[in-house]
Amino acid sequence: MISVYRSGTSILHRLPPGLKLIGFIGLSLLIAATTTHLLEVVSASTFVMTGYALAGLGVRALASQVLSVRWVVIFMLVPQLLFLPALDAVTNTARVVLILALAALFTMTTRIPDLLDAAERAASPLRRVGIRPESVALLLALSITSIPVIAGFAATVRDAQRARGIPAHRVSFAVPLLIMSLKHADDLADAVSSRGIEQ
Amino acid sequence: MFKQSAWDVRDTTRVAAFAALIAVLGLPGALPVFGGAVPITLQTLGVMLAGTILGPWRGAAAVLTFEALVLVGLPLLSGGRGGAGVFVGPSAGYLIGWIFGVFVIGIIAFAGSGRPHWWRTAAACITGGILVVYAFGIPLQALVTRLPLAETALTSTVFLPGDVVKAVLATAITLTLWRAYPRAFSRRLTQRQPVRTDVAA
Repeated sequence: MISVYRSGTSILHRLPPGLKLIGFIGLSLLIAATTTHLLEVVSASTFVMTGYALAGLGVRALASQVLSVRWVVIFMLVPQLLFLPALDAVTNTARVVLILALAALFTMTTRIPDLLDAAERAASPLRRVGIRPESVALLLALSITSIPVIAGFAATVRDAQRARGIPAHRVSFAVPLLIMSLKHADDLADAVSSRGIEQ
Repeated sequence: MFKQSAWDVRDTTRVAAFAALIAVLGLPGALPVFGGAVPITLQTLGVMLAGTILGPWRGAAAVLTFEALVLVGLPLLSGGRGGAGVFVGPSAGYLIGWIFGVFVIGIIAFAGSGRPHWWRTAAACITGGILVVYAFGIPLQALVTRLPLAETALTSTVFLPGDVVKAVLATAITLTLWRAYPRAFSRRLTQRQPVRTDVAA
């Protein structure tokens, strides 16, 4: 779901990232607050599709984003169908999928360095309390890049335990995962220090 | 320009790794209760561990970083939720409670010196990870869902068994980690090695 940037020259690509982020937050809030009926779902999906068209991203890009959240759809839809009327369950799921598709549109049209620059500017008032804005940007960038790495560690630990026939036990799963993650953090620290990036 | 603080690159990367770890713990399907309005998740376990391993300030920084990524729009909360919407939804108070909760966990868990003790770690996870989080979560949930406070508190008791299990797990994991990899506990590491060796010398 954390999709890569798709290069382009559309109006969505050229919007300043800070403004785009505020707009995106506002639109997510609007969809989250208002989309409760079928008609609103239809109009919100039309809106999201228009956004994809504006960005020069076709139906295929939208479909691949929706496909990539299929587990979210299943995990949301099945329990909701048990507790709620079918229409409400579908509407609730559609609302989440729409917001996720909008989030993906934001991610696909915004380069992460631009976003981090915007975060750095937004964090500049923190200088007064002794926090350097550059450290905030570095922290956010390192966190984003660590997510796929640590997800890989989790898969490694799971596979290793499965290969040895150990049932998924949470303590024996979490401890190796924590050790691998903290070692990765220390490797990152060495890499950052060796590049002379000051803290 | 060097900052006059104990914070160094290693702390930044550990905070980043923990923020990513909390995100990864939300990746498998959460256990939704009441149609997924406020899902039960392993992410609370990650929050508790951030407190018991990183301590109050670094733990709170890890949770804040994770929530900043959620706010920016990455769908990292369990069940693939993310974006500003979750900060106005029924679970908003729990997200705010995490930040204060992890701080309290760190303060209690790191109150003594030396190795972590099971009773102090367990007390930290229950106080910070359950009481503080609920103290923020339940009133805000009542506000968002328009359900009276008492009823909201009653419905929230369905999370209590899961949260107690997670506090027990967090305690067991913290003590096992101490035996397996004491370097994980950054504050205790700096206490044992007060002088950093200079490689360039």
